Amino acid sequence: MLLKFLRDLKKYWPYTVQAAMASLKAEVAGSYLNWLWWILNPLSFMVIYSLIFGVVFRAAEPYFPLYVFIGITVWEFFNHVIVHSVSMIKDKKNLLVKIYIPKFVLILSDMVVNAVKMAISFGVIAVMMLLYRVKPGVSVLYVVPVLLCTFLFTFGIGSLIMHFGVYIQDLISVVNIALRLLFYLTGVFYNVETRIPAPFNYIVLRLNPMAAFITQIREALLFGRVTHWGLLLAWFALGAVLAVFAVQVVYRNENGYIKVV
Amino acid sequence: MSELAIEVRDLKLSYVSRQSYSIKNRLFQFKKSERKEIEALRGVSFDAVKGEVLGVVGKNGSGKSTLLQTLAGVFEPDAGSIDLKGNGISLLSLGTGFQNELTGRENILLNGLLLGFTRAQLRDKTDEIIAFSELEQFIDMPIYTYSSGMNSKLAFSISAILETDILLVDEVLSVGDANFRKKSYDKMRRLIEDKDRTALIVSHQETTLRDLCDRVLWLDRGLIREIGETDAVLTDYLEYMK
Repeated sequence: MLLKFLRDLKKYWPYTVQAAMASLKAEVAGSYLNWLWWILNPLSFMVIYSLIFGVVFRAAEPYFPLYVFIGITVWEFFNHVIVHSVSMIKDKKNLLVKIYIPKFVLILSDMVVNAVKMAISFGVIAVMMLLYRVKPGVSVLYVVPVLLCTFLFTFGIGSLIMHFGVYIQDLISVVNIALRLLFYLTGVFYNVETRIPAPFNYIVLRLNPMAAFITQIREALLFGRVTHWGLLLAWFALGAVLAVFAVQVVYRNENGYIKVV
Repeated sequence: MSELAIEVRDLKLSYVSRQSYSIKNRLFQFKKSERKEIEALRGVSFDAVKGEVLGVVGKNGSGKSTLLQTLAGVFEPDAGSIDLKGNGISLLSLGTGFQNELTGRENILLNGLLLGFTRAQLRDKTDEIIAFSELEQFIDMPIYTYSSGMNSKLAFSISAILETDILLVDEVLSVGDANFRKKSYDKMRRLIEDKDRTALIVSHQETTLRDLCDRVLWLDRGLIREIGETDAVLTDYLEYMK
């Protein structure tokens, strides 16, 4: 199974990237400035959250807008891939009825699309760090393994949801509710560790990988700290198991997807 | 006895209605979730030898397109087996998932990669495809500016130039204007008359089938009603359709 996956990955990687670039290009095709929305969108949410939670609820994390922006950037990556995965097979039906491709390629391609957008957001983060005079240390490098973990986890969950999305027609409603709950438990605009009363803060941090990932990235970028690396290792192992399981489920069923019309 | 290229045994395939399951129904039992099954293929067996051109006829909904899609590997058969003897296969049908916002050239690359060609191979083939498609300067314009005829020309050219051992053709023999139609017909003819290439052609045009096919397979409600010499099967089929 793993061998088949690696072979397919190698064979379809050029298509995965090309399809992602095509989809990005299609998004900006309407007007030349459409890509600006990839920056304006998270920036606007940053302003909204900063106003509401910074001014109304008096949240007081250092570098608050930047703090929120990092949260939004990573969360939006996960959120978009998961939402798209629900109707992935249905959306690509025109293509899938004509040719066989391993279905995990569709998730992977969507991840590349959103990773590019995330990369642009990280560019904005770098600029904001300069403006806020944050002195980045070596801990910045810690972002790389955390992001890898995020990708692995997103891929596993996304593939599974793509699978169930074929058979369960109202899955999107459930996924939306689950994502909203997860969003509030991820601490995009607050600090999970200090704001949630103990011992629940540690429970949330340990059970919700997105909370752990976002906390770690913030700590690494803003405060020069490498935190919870044991937790990261655990999620890496769990993410790998999840991804293997998901790929297996998808492989076993993918040629039946199109029959469900 | 010539070498077999396709061996199909007792192929069965059914579609499942999408309304089959929802969490809402599961929770509240508004109505019992129903599982509708449509049997598209109900046990099809046939062989094709290497180099043969096999026509497929049948009424709408008799399972012709499903048969081609199953051979192309889009579906997992519910029962039965398909043995392609290691041959590469591609399904030629109109508009293989073009992306409207992209240019013709970009779509060629995307389609080619999808068919399993490498970038290097495609670099060589792209000019040939563009030349054959007669799209000239339009090739660098987005697909949504194309007329449906131009769209078909591009689709045909991609499939025709990026050839595989086994070619499955679903109603594409009449594409574009008269001039291009003649050209694509001739190209198709050359493609499938190659003695190494096996082809399955679905068509409703009697003249096309008589002209191109060695044998014809008549599908009726998911079963083979008759298979054999082109003339004999077509005569029976046309008699039945009257």
